[in-house]
Amino acid sequence: MKRLATGSQLLAPVLLLALVGVLGNFTSRSVQFQFRFALVMATIVIALYVFIGNSGVVSFGHVSFVAVGAFAAGLTTVPEALKLSLSPDLFPLIAGAEVGNAVSLVLAAAVGGAFAFLVGVPLMRLSGLSAGIATFAVLVITNNILRNWEAIGPGARTLSLVPETTSFLQATCGAIAVAVVAFAYQRSRFGRVLRASSDDAAAAQGAGIEIHRQRLLAFTLSGALAGFAGGLLVHLLGSITTQQVYLDLAFVTLAMLVIGGVRSLWGAVVGALLVSGVNSLLLTAEGGIGLGVGELNVPTGTRLVTLGVVMALILLFRPRGLTGGREVTLRLPR
Amino acid sequence: MTSALQTLIDATALGSIYALVAMGIGLVFGVMRLVNFAHGELITAGAYALALTNHLPLAVSLAACFAVVIGLVLAMDVAYRPLRTTTPTTMLVTTFAVSFLLQAVALLAFGARGQNVGVLPELNRAVSIGDVRVRWVTLVSIAVGAVLLGATAAVLGRTDIGLQMRAAAMDPRTAQLLGVRASTVIRFAFVMAGILAASATVLLTVQRPLVTPSYGFQLVIPALVGVVVGGMDRLVSATLGGFAIGFAAAVLGDVLPADGRVFLDTALFLLVILVLLVRPSGLFSRSRAAWERL
Amino acid sequence: MPDPLLEIRGLELRYAGVPAVRGLDFRVGRGEVVGLVGPNGAGKTSTLLAIMGVVAPHKGEILHAGRSLAGLPTDAIVRSGVALVPEGRHIFPELTVDENLRLGLVGRRSRDRADEDVARVAELFPVVREDRDRPAGLLSGGQQQQLAIARALVAQPDLLLLDEPSLGLAPAVVDDVFDALAEIRESGVTILLVEQRAQFAVGFADRTHVLANGELRLTLTPADAQDTARITAAYFGS
Repeated sequence: MKRLATGSQLLAPVLLLALVGVLGNFTSRSVQFQFRFALVMATIVIALYVFIGNSGVVSFGHVSFVAVGAFAAGLTTVPEALKLSLSPDLFPLIAGAEVGNAVSLVLAAAVGGAFAFLVGVPLMRLSGLSAGIATFAVLVITNNILRNWEAIGPGARTLSLVPETTSFLQATCGAIAVAVVAFAYQRSRFGRVLRASSDDAAAAQGAGIEIHRQRLLAFTLSGALAGFAGGLLVHLLGSITTQQVYLDLAFVTLAMLVIGGVRSLWGAVVGALLVSGVNSLLLTAEGGIGLGVGELNVPTGTRLVTLGVVMALILLFRPRGLTGGREVTLRLPR
Repeated sequence: MTSALQTLIDATALGSIYALVAMGIGLVFGVMRLVNFAHGELITAGAYALALTNHLPLAVSLAACFAVVIGLVLAMDVAYRPLRTTTPTTMLVTTFAVSFLLQAVALLAFGARGQNVGVLPELNRAVSIGDVRVRWVTLVSIAVGAVLLGATAAVLGRTDIGLQMRAAAMDPRTAQLLGVRASTVIRFAFVMAGILAASATVLLTVQRPLVTPSYGFQLVIPALVGVVVGGMDRLVSATLGGFAIGFAAAVLGDVLPADGRVFLDTALFLLVILVLLVRPSGLFSRSRAAWERL
Repeated sequence: MPDPLLEIRGLELRYAGVPAVRGLDFRVGRGEVVGLVGPNGAGKTSTLLAIMGVVAPHKGEILHAGRSLAGLPTDAIVRSGVALVPEGRHIFPELTVDENLRLGLVGRRSRDRADEDVARVAELFPVVREDRDRPAGLLSGGQQQQLAIARALVAQPDLLLLDEPSLGLAPAVVDDVFDALAEIRESGVTILLVEQRAQFAVGFADRTHVLANGELRLTLTPADAQDTARITAAYFGS
């Protein structure tokens, strides 16, 4: 009885993701891209939620993990000749590496997770504004290094000719897989302990719970998931630049989470899909030409303004997000 | 030796400008516990006002700048009312959204290419003092910075409204019980922040005359970081933090070897992380003390 | 009682759904001193905060000179003549004595005769005269209490609310405080006095209500000041 009840809290997000994935198949080619893009965004936002939603600490730096995941997956799936033409000083290890699609995604997750662990060890002691600023610093540093250190990547140039393997199946399954992992974590002892201690840190410490360790676990896990999402992203766009995984993306994904509701998985999914949906609608209303491959969908012109207004209004009038931070329990038919 | 002095003077000037911005952020934070990410858009708005009026007499141009900035800041005062009772996270993200929105408006209105401000170009000329060649704008920045910071301190320390602002920052509950009107105090803080921001804008546009939609945003991020690193709780430490970041950025810019210069941001922010780890409540903060007498 | 200055009718206050005060009724006449005593958590401070407009009543009415205070913001209530000396005094430790006093002036209806009132409190409370430029945090408990009361007085209240003025003070110091309160009473200010240490209130006030568990249990007069048995019984609800 109980297992059925908790299981059904996962159903809503998964079904919604699956729905988006299925429906997208029946749209025109240009719109299909937007659907797959929305699914990848949802993946990023779920990764973000795993840390922020459970720990109550804001991180502006998660897009760094998306970035390293994207570059890791991208660099290992393009031909060596291309890599060397972009950056002649590339480390031989990176230049020579060439793996398949699935391995590149696993690699992206591993790199994201490792980087998150490295960053998290010193930073998880902080909370509140200091944590926000420190994680923001990580974002800036990562971008700065990726953009200028040509031994590890293409620097400021675009890494292109990445195989576009993020089909509807991959995007949907990827998003659902990440949602399942997120749900498993939040239901696990670790997730529940972290969430409880985020509500009352003093009481938690009194009970002997090491907040630092639990946060690090959540941070690392969310870093791995973010890296994985980065892998999906680069294989969706077929290319990547450092600016595409920097401030704009960091803001948009965080706003999606807050709009949906920071404290629940349902909130993460709803926020991501809704904002992506609104953006797509506006794009269509603009008489939009489908976004070509390789253009990250940070909207321009009136769309940007409208999206900004919508987001600001929602945040001003429903500060706890559209879902109020609650999960939705779907009852299975008997 | 001369170039060291030169660096120090330039750094002090940049630090002064950042201090003005940081003080504005700190004033609003003190009375409202709100970190206004959109503070940078005040600077962008002021810069565009200057750019669009640069064919008019200087006085008109400056007046337009101040008018636009103060108008915008009053609009923010009204817009942020619903935020007064929410969590810091929501405040942060919402003001970020407003910043995003305003940048989008600027992009729509003015395009991405950038406008030239061209106000007071004479200040870019240099003057020799002993062995050092210093630009006028550097000296003016330091002087204006000092005057404004002093004036703000005087308003806070000697006027009734300043007293109310300090009290509201220290203990909002008790201040309320004494009859201090939160709305009045907050509005005043916003206006003061606007004046400081407009002044910073004028000084900044002399040295960096090309205005783009992200002009102010790029400045406010390090200033905000400086405020947190300096210590949010006290106005003095927040302002010092802003000064420190500007100072450090200028010094690092001169000190780093040429090919290292692209990694300026990395160096600066590594420093920031280090400071936050060692003194999370801020470099200049003193335990739990709130706003002090200035 | 004709024309009471303060009237509480059927007041019910809740915190997160839990009632802190239930069905509270009492009146304070002009020029009276009324005490409100009771154990910790009885709802005394909550009642004062409700009068000040900080806590919104779940049910019931609060009337000041016949006017309902419902929904008014705190600063309007202060300006209409109600001042609170909060529990624990809450002076601003980093501000000087003079600055603390000037903050009290914010609550005045008008600036007229502010200097007179300041002179009056300086007469009443030596700390205001003598330590003008000292940071208030360096004052002793008794001096801080004087400052807090002075601060409330310069707001020109006709109704003065005091929340546990004897808290943390030695008996001799408490005597001084109550001497000052007696002079204030003589100048015509109406006083509502909340105290945990019942003996101080009961002997001083015209009437003292005992509040326990959010309800009014008993009303005492100065004659009952020595009847500790009765007071104790009321505290513990028999």
